[in-house]
Amino acid sequence: MDILTQLWNGFAVAALPINLALIVAGCFAGTLIGALPGLGPVNGVAILIPLTFAFGLDATSSMILLSAVYYGCMYGGRISAILLNIPGDEPAIMTTLDGYPMAKKGQAADALAISGVASFIGATLATIGLTLFAPLLAKAAIYFGPSDYFALYVMAFATIGGISGTDPRKTLLAALLGLMLGTVGLDPSTGVARYTFGSFNLYDGFDPIVALVGLFAISEILFFLEEKAHGGGLVPPGRVFPRLTRVKEGLGASLRGSLIGFIAGILPGAGASLGAVMSYSFEKRISDKEGTFGTGDPRGVAAPEAGNNAASGGALIPMLTLGVPGSGTTAVMLAMLISLNIQPGPLLFERSPDLVWGLVAALYLANFVLLILNLPLIGMFTRVLGMPAWGLMPLVVAISYLGVYAITHAAFDLMVMVGFGILGFVLRKLDFSLVPVVLGLLLGMDMENNLRRALSISGGDFMVLVQSPIALVIYALTAAFLLLSLWLSRRQNGIVPQPPQH
Amino acid sequence: MTDRLAGLFFVLLATGYVWLSTGYTAGFGDPLGPAIFPRVIGIPAVVLGLSLLIWPRHNASWAGTAGLLRQAAAVALLIGYAVLLEPVGFVPTTFAAILGLGLLMGAPPAKGLLTAALAAPGLYLLFDRLMGLPLPLVGTMFG
Repeated sequence: MDILTQLWNGFAVAALPINLALIVAGCFAGTLIGALPGLGPVNGVAILIPLTFAFGLDATSSMILLSAVYYGCMYGGRISAILLNIPGDEPAIMTTLDGYPMAKKGQAADALAISGVASFIGATLATIGLTLFAPLLAKAAIYFGPSDYFALYVMAFATIGGISGTDPRKTLLAALLGLMLGTVGLDPSTGVARYTFGSFNLYDGFDPIVALVGLFAISEILFFLEEKAHGGGLVPPGRVFPRLTRVKEGLGASLRGSLIGFIAGILPGAGASLGAVMSYSFEKRISDKEGTFGTGDPRGVAAPEAGNNAASGGALIPMLTLGVPGSGTTAVMLAMLISLNIQPGPLLFERSPDLVWGLVAALYLANFVLLILNLPLIGMFTRVLGMPAWGLMPLVVAISYLGVYAITHAAFDLMVMVGFGILGFVLRKLDFSLVPVVLGLLLGMDMENNLRRALSISGGDFMVLVQSPIALVIYALTAAFLLLSLWLSRRQNGIVPQPPQH
Repeated sequence: MTDRLAGLFFVLLATGYVWLSTGYTAGFGDPLGPAIFPRVIGIPAVVLGLSLLIWPRHNASWAGTAGLLRQAAAVALLIGYAVLLEPVGFVPTTFAAILGLGLLMGAPPAKGLLTAALAAPGLYLLFDRLMGLPLPLVGTMFG
């Protein structure tokens, strides 16, 4: 009952004209960003953050905008996956497996409708899950002490290592690199300048937002200059109207995919790509009796789409309740909240109910907007796919520059952004994933503070870290998750393509 | 091979990082001080870097000469854009950046020129005039 009242208040916040406008604009921009190859939720949201600052949007409106973009990207990624065989964003890779074959058989309209409905089911169920579980987790998280938070951060770093599919040593190194970069600047509790090499520009440390735009937007440009050839040609959508019977075929898969994706999303650090991969491979295992998966099976389109949309909703739960993001994009949103002086965590639900419930309500509305944008108005987005990269990518650069410049007014920060762009490019070439770097950079200071707090309570005794029952449960969960992912990676070797970078 | 280089890089970086941390001392009533956390993260990084150096697993393939040249040119362009944005102003630098990057990405010259000529003032009008983000129209260089 309590939840319903608060949700009702949330709808009052979300229904403010400015927020409604941001929902529609965000859904539109998100679908577009998701559909365009080379731009995904992480870089899309990263580019928008400096702009939300510069426009002086308040925290609630900024979060609503970014979440609408995030949800929109998850819908949009499927469009180019189906029509071009190029995943518009990372989680849509699994959608190419059955989506493109369907399009080649002249069933593009069906595939788009099936995946649109699956996206809606996944995202809506995940939003309902968010409504129900986030307050519960927030209540539990009030009892977390400093050593428990430290354990949680360890869990976040360990679980990204478990899923990213590349060499786990590299994932850990990437996280450590992020943590190292996070220590640059004045030490908050003693005022000692660390790793600044005498540069006053570095006293505040690296602005996570500048770093993010560099890592995700600028590095993408360098990546793009490398590859010339991309996938197959644009498939004509075939028949205009999808057939309802085909949409029904995907319903069961959508429901199963939603559940799996939601769970994958909640795990700190796991994210939407994992949700899509797990949903697809689970669906393949239980319903691929005739071996039609991979040749254009509607269930193979529905499952990963429901999975990645559900995961994006699930990923918001740990970000809002614990301050530990569940995916790359929520990590970026976390950076924005921290920069607005809002510390996500259990207290957020008590201190800023308008933000939390306004956001949740906005997500319900965004889903309906997206359903409309992605079923009847889909033609608008398919036309954009003809836009050449040489027209799009330079604009991304210009918008990144003007956004970062507008918030920092310092050419130095533009150089930092380019530096992070080069770093991001080299790391991705070397098969290091970037999400752990971001997590490290963002969470490093809190991780250190919680460690210090725990140790000053215990008077310097490190045993305090493993004495709390909550911390022990978290460490046990971490170990279980690592074993599970090890087992899964053994079993799935060769069946599923490597989960992508971010 | 690239894994070995990455490993070597991390060993050097993390060693330097831990070594520098020894200079950071302070703290009454702070049992940890500013130097311990850097060691907690730096030492594992040295170990992991060493392991990558000794047991590499992956070898990155780089772009061909043409690709590398394009990338180098893009980096030069991006740095130039960052350095010149304030002194020269938003519109001229953005025009040059969009044109340059567009050409590097294979734009037909005429169309690339048209895109840049429309986009640079367009972005300025959209973001500075319409949405109120202060951008330098002409740079400090021109007073």
